[in-house]
Amino acid sequence: MEISQNIELKQFTAGLRSGFPIFLGYLPVGLAFGILACDYGFTPLQAILASAFALSGVGQFVALTTLVLSESIVASVLASTIVNLRYILFSASLSPHLQGLKYRTLAWIGFTTTDESFAINSAEIRELRASPSSIIGVGTVGWLGWVLGTTGGTIGAQFLGDLSAFGIYFAMPAMYAALFIALASNRKQIYCGIGAGIIVLILYGLNLLGLGLETYWFTVITAIVAASLAVWIFPKEKNAKKGTDTPGNDVCGKVAKSTVEDDVQ
Amino acid sequence: MELTSQFAIWGLIAGMLVLNFALRFIPLAVLSRISIPEPLMRWLSYMPIAVMGALIATEVLLPALDTFFNEVRIYQEALPYAECGSTTPVPYPIFFMPLPGILGVIAAMVTYRYTKSFIGGTLAGVVVFALLQLLVGA
Repeated sequence: MEISQNIELKQFTAGLRSGFPIFLGYLPVGLAFGILACDYGFTPLQAILASAFALSGVGQFVALTTLVLSESIVASVLASTIVNLRYILFSASLSPHLQGLKYRTLAWIGFTTTDESFAINSAEIRELRASPSSIIGVGTVGWLGWVLGTTGGTIGAQFLGDLSAFGIYFAMPAMYAALFIALASNRKQIYCGIGAGIIVLILYGLNLLGLGLETYWFTVITAIVAASLAVWIFPKEKNAKKGTDTPGNDVCGKVAKSTVEDDVQ
Repeated sequence: MELTSQFAIWGLIAGMLVLNFALRFIPLAVLSRISIPEPLMRWLSYMPIAVMGALIATEVLLPALDTFFNEVRIYQEALPYAECGSTTPVPYPIFFMPLPGILGVIAAMVTYRYTKSFIGGTLAGVVVFALLQLLVGA
């Protein structure tokens, strides 16, 4: 099957729609970044460009704090990169479903990959609803939310009062919870997800005992350990036909078939 | 107010652009062009749920645990100054602190399970969290 290299409007719009929770979740956090950046001496334009170019929630906050503390460009860029190392895992994990796309399509998909867009796209791939166009839509709506939120923050969030009273900062964890269920397609996946939660608690416990690990390392370490344990504990089943797992010339949606077969057992 | 130099700010913006893009684009560009070995595929297939589990635990359980341990510490430090013979009970709200987060997560999960809607799940989680936070008074 030939992949359409053009953006299909219908699927793109579907992507915008499924990415809408990301938009909502990013507004308040982007707002907070806008306020903080201006406090730290960014002009509104600089704050907005930082968000538009980096699109990395925690990474940007860490960069900002490091810049103020150290005045060193290298230190702050490095700090934000370390926080964002998990993007390597996200991109790698999406890549089997994006075989054969043009580099400029991949560039935009990569550019807009975040925890949230990764999660929504993974869930949609699993439910056979994803296509390159919908993935682009999900990334785009998230990017818009982040940039608009930051813009709002730079033009005075004092009018909005204390948003935390409305629990709006819980939008992201709530979305992760919904996504967890969307991804929990079989027992092995569920155990892996719960295992990851337990590993986080273990790391927290080790920190209490004096390990001194920054929290932003938790996701990377946990994801690597949990996925490795899952591969090690759950061997490949016999009925997984040879070839179903190889990406070949898979398109989004089509490739997820192998995952579904995997789930039936 | 000029806390940071203009040069440093522009440098930071440019640096974040380049490095964040490299982190996200290079694996995509390379791995979407080659055939990924089966064990690596299997490993990657666990990545999304592992990340979600880690993020939920990090953002919901850890702040709750932090608050809890802080409150306990404050309470313990206050103990020696309490009047002799008086038994100051541990203020009960601290035991309920993790509840808004945990029940918010459950609400989002259950709602998604039955509606298959991300936005529905997200809103249900936010509403339950906000209401319980009011109740607990955190």
